[in-house]
Amino acid sequence: MKKIAVFVSVLLFLFTSIASAHGPVRQKTAEKITINAPAAKVWALIKDFGDMSWHPDIVNTSIQGGNTKGATRVLTLKDGNTITEELKKYDDKKLSYAYKITEMSSSKKITHAGAEEEVPALPVTDYSASIDLTEKGDSTEVDWKAAYYRAYMNNNPPEEMNDEAANNAVKAVLETGLINLKALAEK
Amino acid sequence: MFLVNYRLTSSQLVCGIHTILGDKAVAICIATAFLSAPLAAQPFAYISNQLDDSVSVIDTATGTVVDTIAVAGKPAGVAVAPDGSKVYVSTPEAKGFAVVDTKKREVIATVIVNDGVLGIAVGAEGERIYVADWYENTVSVIDAKSLQLIKTIAVGESPSGLIVSPDNRWLYVANRISNSVSKIDLNTLTVKKTAPVGTHPFGLTIDARGERIYVVNVKSDDVTVVETARMQPIATIKVHMLPYATTLALNDSRLLVTNQNDGSVSVIDIETLKEIALITVGDKPEGINTHPDDRHVYVANWFDSNVSVIDARTLKVIATIETGEGSRAFGQFIGK
Repeated sequence: MKKIAVFVSVLLFLFTSIASAHGPVRQKTAEKITINAPAAKVWALIKDFGDMSWHPDIVNTSIQGGNTKGATRVLTLKDGNTITEELKKYDDKKLSYAYKITEMSSSKKITHAGAEEEVPALPVTDYSASIDLTEKGDSTEVDWKAAYYRAYMNNNPPEEMNDEAANNAVKAVLETGLINLKALAEK
Repeated sequence: MFLVNYRLTSSQLVCGIHTILGDKAVAICIATAFLSAPLAAQPFAYISNQLDDSVSVIDTATGTVVDTIAVAGKPAGVAVAPDGSKVYVSTPEAKGFAVVDTKKREVIATVIVNDGVLGIAVGAEGERIYVADWYENTVSVIDAKSLQLIKTIAVGESPSGLIVSPDNRWLYVANRISNSVSKIDLNTLTVKKTAPVGTHPFGLTIDARGERIYVVNVKSDDVTVVETARMQPIATIKVHMLPYATTLALNDSRLLVTNQNDGSVSVIDIETLKEIALITVGDKPEGINTHPDDRHVYVANWFDSNVSVIDARTLKVIATIETGEGSRAFGQFIGK
């Protein structure tokens, strides 16, 4: 009887640690680029939540809903992985929108601390991001910001799922996207 | 025979000393002046910068950061002792909290409590420190003098925000996963009652009479108003995306709530329990507290690493103060 009680409490503890999602410290990445093109031109390239073809790492976007809160898009990456995102905020006048990741495919499986772990396409948890354009005369400043936790929510993460892995991966996504957006807009 | 006449208008300290000791007397006089300066200054706001492992000290009189204190362990929660002599800062990665001496402006002690420390509060007399543990589902009661554990109280799942009643009789705990608030009797150190609230309660505040608590629900994007005597929810107020914490201002007539994913602060009229204004602040606003003048409200913007100062009367942001990376300031972070 005692054994069962102990087992149950261990299970409860594990469940709590996963559900609470607050072991790690939230991380952030912000990237900024100045594009020598008017804001309207840049906005035209990114304004459709259902079209992320301006990002070179994304080969396909499918969308449910339009440019309104609650719409979801599925991004297919070069390697075949998918990321599902939900539009949380959209402002055509301020030239900005915000979204969060709701689902991701697993890019690989690893074994860590005796358990099998699935590394998500982007090694993060609870990821939210926003893109804002600011008109600066004839040019446009683009701010892309993301806030998230690492993928591994317990203590002692494997290196594929630690803070550094999360920060590097997010930085790469933002940088690559902005550089390409600049190239497209300045064409 | 020397005549020394020293006048420091800034701290209203006047020294007029006639002495044969000359230089020595001057030295004493200046020393007194410097010691008096911090006491005469306005209250300080202590902003935990989680990604910088530091706490920014804001002099609210000048609106400037006057010092930055190194605090290891990803500082998050803040509780200023009522006499302002100490600040307790929860350090989740150091599994406990740090005690900051506000005169020396340095950490004078660190206390290990548990793995999931976040919410922290201090008794109205400064006699005890309360620490919520996210993983163990407990509140630890620590003697402020000896820094020894007095008791561990089981509460709901993932306890987060803590607030002590103005009469120092009760402690309220927001249980994030249990969607409830526990009322702890501070005489017996036992849970007296638990009230259901919205989804994933996090920050909370109490009115000056101790009659109502306002609990911010992160997942249901609203605030539950709970009557403390019966521990009954009496109203729910809708706010915006991912609200975090809350504070009262202007004689408890306004409630201000940070909306993390909206980059805004909701202003709620207490009489009608309706939102009357939405103020744009920085990105990912988290901790929010009212200055002892009952009018100015300080908001820590996590993403932007700064603090917005709101005038609750004009409902405008009157200043933005640069702090450190990942400003959280979860708790009561302004001294009285």
